[in-house]
Amino acid sequence: MSVFTSSDIEIAARAADQFTRLYYHTYDSDSRSDDIPNFYRSTSTVTWNGTGYQGSEGVKSMMERMPPTKHEVQSYDCHPIPGNQPPSLMITVSGTVTHGKGPAGNPASTPRSSLEGQPRVFSQTFMLVPDPTAPPAKPGEVAKYYVGADAMRFVG
Amino acid sequence: MTSTQITGTRAIASSALRGAGLIDRDERMRDASDKPGGRKGASKHRAHRPRPIDAYKDHTPGPSRTSMLSARVTGAEPLAIRGAARPTAVGRMRRNAVSAVTGKPSLEPRTPTVSKKAVDVWREFVKSRYNAEAQFLNLERMLDDDIIRRSRLVPPGAPGSSLREASVIFKLASQLKPEVKTVSLANNNISQGQLLTSLPHYLPNLVNLSLENNNLQLWRDLDNFSSRNHKMEQLQELILIGNPLRELEYKNGRGDKYRGEIGRRFPSLTVLDREPMTVISFDAPQASSSTASAKLPAATTFPADMQGSFITGVEPSIVSGFLARFFSTYDNQRASLMDAYHPSATFSFSANTAIPTRARMQGFQYSKEMPNQKRLEWSPWLAGGHGGSRNLSRMAGGLDKMVKSLHVGSEEAVRAMCALPGSRHDVAGSPEKFCVDAWPVGEGAGMSLFTSVHGQFTEQPVGGERSFDRSFILAPAPEGSRAKLNGWDVMIMSDQLVVRSYSSPEAWKPGPMRVQHGDPLPAFSLSQIPPEVQQELSQIVSGPCPEPQRSLVLQICQRTGLNVKFAVECLQSNGWDLDRAVKNFEEVKVRACNGVYVLARVDVPAGQSCSRCLPIGASTSLTLRY
Repeated sequence: MSVFTSSDIEIAARAADQFTRLYYHTYDSDSRSDDIPNFYRSTSTVTWNGTGYQGSEGVKSMMERMPPTKHEVQSYDCHPIPGNQPPSLMITVSGTVTHGKGPAGNPASTPRSSLEGQPRVFSQTFMLVPDPTAPPAKPGEVAKYYVGADAMRFVG
Repeated sequence: MTSTQITGTRAIASSALRGAGLIDRDERMRDASDKPGGRKGASKHRAHRPRPIDAYKDHTPGPSRTSMLSARVTGAEPLAIRGAARPTAVGRMRRNAVSAVTGKPSLEPRTPTVSKKAVDVWREFVKSRYNAEAQFLNLERMLDDDIIRRSRLVPPGAPGSSLREASVIFKLASQLKPEVKTVSLANNNISQGQLLTSLPHYLPNLVNLSLENNNLQLWRDLDNFSSRNHKMEQLQELILIGNPLRELEYKNGRGDKYRGEIGRRFPSLTVLDREPMTVISFDAPQASSSTASAKLPAATTFPADMQGSFITGVEPSIVSGFLARFFSTYDNQRASLMDAYHPSATFSFSANTAIPTRARMQGFQYSKEMPNQKRLEWSPWLAGGHGGSRNLSRMAGGLDKMVKSLHVGSEEAVRAMCALPGSRHDVAGSPEKFCVDAWPVGEGAGMSLFTSVHGQFTEQPVGGERSFDRSFILAPAPEGSRAKLNGWDVMIMSDQLVVRSYSSPEAWKPGPMRVQHGDPLPAFSLSQIPPEVQQELSQIVSGPCPEPQRSLVLQICQRTGLNVKFAVECLQSNGWDLDRAVKNFEEVKVRACNGVYVLARVDVPAGQSCSRCLPIGASTSLTLRY
């Protein structure tokens, strides 16, 4: 099994940078129910706080029932996974997510100490895999990647 | 209005520098159709940043936002600018002092380049260089420009120029219509990256940039306008040919490293120095797909309740056995974990140092139960572990640190881990403090186990609590492998550790969750129970089943997904105590097919899958079970 070169590592990190920016921007946008499923395929497996969803369709149905969100990515990391070439990638993201209208959306009578509406800490791990059915379209493009697995949880 | 005039007939590519970047000066477009000052309105929305151009204004500036920064930006004349921008007594004195020296009106700073006339000249110059059709601003060879020479202005890059000229030019460029997509600053002898600091501020949507044949020498010069901190996120093409920075790297055979460093700084780049970048792409949502058909996010409840650990498609004991041994070894004999990692495995750790809002409100930092929280420090995480924290969102431009902080190979991985603070993970004693999601991914020989663990540990020797997320890619350990010989049924291919400030494990306590305060919790009403379950319920607990017990059965069904038969069994064996029953369920459950749970130790029929569950195949069990 080949050991990664610094170029492999840099390409993976750049992909993670692009991916996290694009993914959470889309997630927080008005068009997310249409756009977020595009990151997945029918074979993708997804869990949201321990509930499983299958494929782009499952993700779409989940997104349609999700309150409005605002994510803040505080940390992310990415590895190429030893094995295939081009490699699959594992990305972990740590950050906060605010749902609905946040604290401002709580009724006026809400006690100041109430946690409801406050940002939650989330942890999300993605496995990105190259799509063999979508050959590189542009010069320099290694492959088109999609989310093969995605585990999201509120952790704080 | 003067009409647009383009001499020469060469077609100009609309977006790519390759086509558009080589327009001769005689071909440039003159566009005098814009009335001077007519664009001021358009610039108002940018009012939150220092505006060097304020210094040029001949009317009294509005409320100052230009004190410190503009002084820095404008460099040469801090007193004059500060005074002009802030109508204070001191300012008046300073202005008077300035005008006493120069004999000019008090609002007009001293140097000739900042006269009102100068900004008009710059405006004329910028307009003369704009090809609106190609959205291309040609700022090449500014020193030779007739307009600039006539007015004896000092363009960026010329001896004696300051940051001010560059800022003024970019600001004027930001007012051009249609929006500038391409800028060429080729052949200007620019040696200070600082000159470009204001470029991403004024032209944040720039797509193509040429800095060909300048004198940029240091990576630091690029950091002034690179994509960190969300600058230049649209930049697709960059040309640095003919700058010592690039040419030296190539001369020393480090062309690949150079391209990597640039890619690190400009992640959206697709073409560098006229050659395509190696990129990984996604099915990014296109602007066109974001149309009116989109259903606006309007839900006021979550799509599902919080559920406990999700382990499917694999014998749960494989996962729990691995984790129990892993964390115990990690705490007590970290070096011997070498056995558990594949020889090419990858490991990294990163620190998310942000203070979690809910934990702060709960006062964990000062809790009596955790007296050592205040003694925890981030430095051993940020700088420790042979390469430091690998938080890619906070990592400064350099490629070196990014490569160094990813530990490749079992030896490297364990060496890095051994240099991290000690830990105590109480996996056995307090399982509710941990939460696992795991399922198989890939097929055949490429089958692996995607595993994500959340929990907490006591950092040693300080004794404070930390929260963590740890994600693994695990693979079955082949017969005869080091892992297998040492009793590991699965081995680690990839391992990413995130360490955070402590948050309570209540975060993943199973049950309904509220979006806003005062929202009703999702109700356990009969109408929400699927008809088939209602029917089943009436059959199984018909007759003597009292109403309270019926309600408990429904709640168990709702919260665990158990069918009625198992829900009744589960409740009976837990004395009809709802909390105990749920807890018991979490301990023993395994998810099976057909959308229902079954209690542990029930094997999943090979090859089954359903729409609500994850696909479970025969190969899954066979590959992972030993």
